[in-house]
Amino acid sequence: MTSLQTVVRWESALFLGGLYGIILVQLLTGRINTRWLLYGRNNGLRYFSPERVQLLVLTLAGAAYYLLTVLQMPDPRSLPAVPNTWIGLLGGSNSLYLLGKAYTMWGRK
Amino acid sequence: MASVSVVAGWLICGIVGLLGAIILWKMADGTINLSRLISEPNGDASISRLQLLVFTFVVALSLFLVIVSGKPATFPVIPATVLSLLGISASSYLVSKGIQFSNPAGVEDREPQVKIAPVNPTVRFGGGVQQFTVDTVRLSSTAVTWSVVAGPGRVDAQTGLYQAPPVTAGVAPPQYATIKAESAHDASKFDLAVVTLI
Repeated sequence: MTSLQTVVRWESALFLGGLYGIILVQLLTGRINTRWLLYGRNNGLRYFSPERVQLLVLTLAGAAYYLLTVLQMPDPRSLPAVPNTWIGLLGGSNSLYLLGKAYTMWGRK
Repeated sequence: MASVSVVAGWLICGIVGLLGAIILWKMADGTINLSRLISEPNGDASISRLQLLVFTFVVALSLFLVIVSGKPATFPVIPATVLSLLGISASSYLVSKGIQFSNPAGVEDREPQVKIAPVNPTVRFGGGVQQFTVDTVRLSSTAVTWSVVAGPGRVDAQTGLYQAPPVTAGVAPPQYATIKAESAHDASKFDLAVVTLI
């Protein structure tokens, strides 16, 4: 059974690694469209969107923080909890983004 | 009975592995098209889709690391805060889609287009050069043909390298040249740039 477990571990690692690698390469080479990621649209006109920038920054920071927390755990037996501060920050950040989007879609004329 | 479970385990492992390999292969060669993985229906990239992708990947990788480091491997408890995080991201994505679909402008796809950069460069007479680049959107081919449709100078039809003419007596700067990039696939799709010659 031990060899089967080893194979499953390697199989999972290769699949995850392959999946992440393919998506990362396609993001970096432009095969996955990232055009206008930080821009919104209002009546067909594009505008630079600060609410998207803050969401991107907090998303990447939150993801990096969590991944580093997992990697630094000496004996990980369960996933670490996300601090409530981060939950609050990301909730606020998402709300800000949604409010900005709703405002440009419905409010601004 | 134990040997049956071992055989079944190997069989499932083989099938899942083969399925995973086929999916990765098709993603890599483009049969599974990921080009609009994080795009809105109108063709623009979506920050909420990107966030959902990033969080899902991070939690999946963390889960994998925790499971494989356990001896024996067991499925760990997932804290409520992690579920909250994914919930916030997924809810935000859903609300974002709701806002977007509430307005027809939010779901209209982009027109195929050709965009030149830079649009208004300044080049010196007597050998000044400007390399133009082009961005094609929703065209099946990225190839374009370059030409000077008005004004002095010449442009390489393949590379988009514009070269200013020599200084000519009696011609007072500034002069202007109009550069055109036309899609090789669809002649109705083109863009123009105006060069100011000084």
